[in-house]
Amino acid sequence: MLQRFLHALLLLLASAAAYAASVKTDHVEAELVTERVGLAPGSSFTVALRLKMIEHWHTYWKNPGDSGLPTKIAWQLPPGFEAGAIQWPHPKRLPTGPLTNFGYEGEVLLLTQLQAPAGLKPGEQVALNARADWLVCKDVCIPEHAQLSLTLPVTVGEPPVDSAQQAKFAAARVALPQALSNFKVEASSAEGLLDLRITTQSAPAPQLTRLEFYPERGDVIQHAASQKLLRDGDAYRLRVPLADAPPKNFSTIAGVLVAEPGWGAGKAVAFDVALAASLPALAANAAEVVAAPVASSAPNGALPPSLWVALVFAFIGGLILNLMPCVFPVLGIKVMSFVQRAHDAPRALRSQGLMFALGVLVAFLVLAGAMLALRAGGAQIGWGFQLQSPLFVTLLACLFFLLALNLSGVFEVGASAQRLAGSVAGKSAHGDAFVSGLLATAVATPCTAPFMGAAIGYTLAQPAPATLIIFAALALGLAAPVVLLSWYPRWLRFLPKPGRWMETFKQVMAFPLYATVIWLIWVLGAQAGNDAVLRVLLGLLLLGIAAWLYGRASLSGKALPIAISALIAAAGLATAWPNKLQPGANLAAANDGAWQAWSQERVAASRAQGKPVFVDFTAAWCITCQVNKRIALNRSEVMQEFAKRDVALLRADWTTQDPAITQALAELGRNAVPVYALYPPDTAAPPQLLPEVLTPNIVLQALQNAVPAANTARASSSN
Amino acid sequence: MKRLLAAATLAFCATVAQAAAVVGQPAPSFTLADTNGKQVNLADYKGKVVVLEWSNPGCPFVMKHYRSGNMPALQKKYAKDVVWLTVNSTTEGHSDYMTGKQLNEFSKQHGAAPARYLLDVEGKVGKAYGARTTPHMYIVDASGKLAYVGAIDDVPSASESDVKTAKNFVAAAIEEIKAGKAVSEASTSPYGCSVKYKQ
Repeated sequence: MLQRFLHALLLLLASAAAYAASVKTDHVEAELVTERVGLAPGSSFTVALRLKMIEHWHTYWKNPGDSGLPTKIAWQLPPGFEAGAIQWPHPKRLPTGPLTNFGYEGEVLLLTQLQAPAGLKPGEQVALNARADWLVCKDVCIPEHAQLSLTLPVTVGEPPVDSAQQAKFAAARVALPQALSNFKVEASSAEGLLDLRITTQSAPAPQLTRLEFYPERGDVIQHAASQKLLRDGDAYRLRVPLADAPPKNFSTIAGVLVAEPGWGAGKAVAFDVALAASLPALAANAAEVVAAPVASSAPNGALPPSLWVALVFAFIGGLILNLMPCVFPVLGIKVMSFVQRAHDAPRALRSQGLMFALGVLVAFLVLAGAMLALRAGGAQIGWGFQLQSPLFVTLLACLFFLLALNLSGVFEVGASAQRLAGSVAGKSAHGDAFVSGLLATAVATPCTAPFMGAAIGYTLAQPAPATLIIFAALALGLAAPVVLLSWYPRWLRFLPKPGRWMETFKQVMAFPLYATVIWLIWVLGAQAGNDAVLRVLLGLLLLGIAAWLYGRASLSGKALPIAISALIAAAGLATAWPNKLQPGANLAAANDGAWQAWSQERVAASRAQGKPVFVDFTAAWCITCQVNKRIALNRSEVMQEFAKRDVALLRADWTTQDPAITQALAELGRNAVPVYALYPPDTAAPPQLLPEVLTPNIVLQALQNAVPAANTARASSSN
Repeated sequence: MKRLLAAATLAFCATVAQAAAVVGQPAPSFTLADTNGKQVNLADYKGKVVVLEWSNPGCPFVMKHYRSGNMPALQKKYAKDVVWLTVNSTTEGHSDYMTGKQLNEFSKQHGAAPARYLLDVEGKVGKAYGARTTPHMYIVDASGKLAYVGAIDDVPSASESDVKTAKNFVAAAIEEIKAGKAVSEASTSPYGCSVKYKQ
């Protein structure tokens, strides 16, 4: 609802001149949408028929499969205009009983290229009309249609892009089958099977977990039959049962190959080849690829969270972030600054609370913006990604070390510690509040509180506005306690009065910071190895000397020692600056007892043997992950139960960037760790996700539910 | 042996789709009860041309051919030349399910005149023939072999107005069989709703 409102607002702003009305039938919302808010004379431009089906209903691809009917668009265009054919995004399989259809659920954009005549006059309004016919089905089918119209102004040059629609068009193009040049399909038919051999020169070679063939014609293959994927040396083979009566003139085959995780350029590739008499024999080591579970839109079981549910979860997640171990030091700083200012005027206090909230909000939105930008750029990125960068970890360690020294009283900078972190923000109390908000965010990111995983995972598949709103909700959750205290300062009387104890308290607060520094260095060690740890420790030593010197010098007010201390500090930073990553220095190595390093293939292989698989998605910088490991996973009763039930234990270490793990997390609907996935032995069953905070009982319970007794019996009898 | 191999291949591929009826092959035999409770065996009509029409009045594609009068007209026109058997494979739990009595009522309302209206609630016969859509049409010739499998006509749509302009494959096939010729278009792609099989 909110999303739709925002959407409408953006559309209104961007395209006051272009307009189209959507038509709502009982099952479908239909609309002509445009990528650009106008058209230039003589240009070719793209519009789309947008169909949004109500939940569980679908419309069809150009080959609808065993039943159904493809959507049709009949254009009624002004003279001189020409319309191309529908560019169909790749469909998905929609099984109903023994039959299978090919089509779309949710929302689909059917792109069409239109050609405008050269003789149009700028300023003129052009009405593009079309009648769309579609069949929409669930367990019953309803033919529906709509008369649609889209009016566009003629512009002089290239018209501006409609920012509200741009993302949808981009997504639709991603789903269009590509014609790849470095991609070769050979086909042959024998003994009732269509045999496809796929070779690709793309580097790195795709590691497919699933491949589906959708033929252009409806009479060639058995649509409902399962298709068998084989790894054949460097190639892939897909074997598809042919229709009982293939067409007489069956000499070519055309269609779309949809791959998981994809071909690099996208998931779908189109081809059209003549049937060969025979194909090269299978390689000696050819092996069937066992299909991985399809990433569903509802990875956490029941329903995909609506935007509202996600917002509530995001807010709660933000609240809980206040209690997470890695926010604790900053929380201390915040509390301290409140104690200092409890005797200020209430109004000033309130506005400081709001400034803090604003700082948190800005930081989260900047993060969200960066995430969107990176996502748009194709980078695979997840929550906590800052701590995947050794440079970021190093700088954070230096910053926290200096903050800790400051709290310990080694040197003084102004009145509060935050000022060090944000001298740019000026010396006002408001500036402090703002900066401590920013800081709170920077430190909170590595800790994924319960609930947050799902909310963030949700944003991965969402358009930009939804992502920004969810991040804003997270920010408000994080800032809420502080804002509340500033609004009701009466509650502050529960806080102790300022006095000498404050200095003590300040010094005590230094210790969590030192602990944080130790943790950061440990993370760095996992990422970049021993040498990096040595360098950062030497750097911290130099920084310590510099800070001590500065503290002495600022007492005496001499300029030279201050300059020297600045030089030493710079040298310290330069020393700490990390070199290149040392590969293979990761913590969660394969030799960790019963645990093996995770890979998509290993999951598939174990499941193929009928073994259940437990995957621990973890990272060294994730404290929750370490806690879970200690209190639940490594407990002897849990390990015994794993062994008893013959569970393959795999650990996916995300301490540094790993696209394969990022991809696997995305398929589970998450983009942060920890994630615990339990794959039952039945390969058709989806993985079960455990909560982010584990207890031994949760794990034992999940094992008992997911791994049937038969498996237990077999495993124990073999013991 | 060859059939055994074919069956083994099918089992190997774990196909859900059925060993569907193929033009030129003997039509799968069956016994089904009709809407009046009488048992009907395909063998009862040996030596006659039999038309099998998969139907479901809950499907808009079926209704296209009943509202327009297309299907009842065919049933009446060829009543002397063929035995017209309408088959409904809708499972009992589905919202489209109708009892024999209701189907008789439906036939009366729309002037339908099949020789028999057969109930295949278990879907066994539909699956044996590989019926995918409603309508899905089959013609069995006098020798018991399948002579036509596919669509009712060549315009896959749900709109009644298309009936006039469409080429009716079934009528053309019956005419060719009557004239003693081979059916020129013996296998076409059926269109319509999915058959509402028992899950």
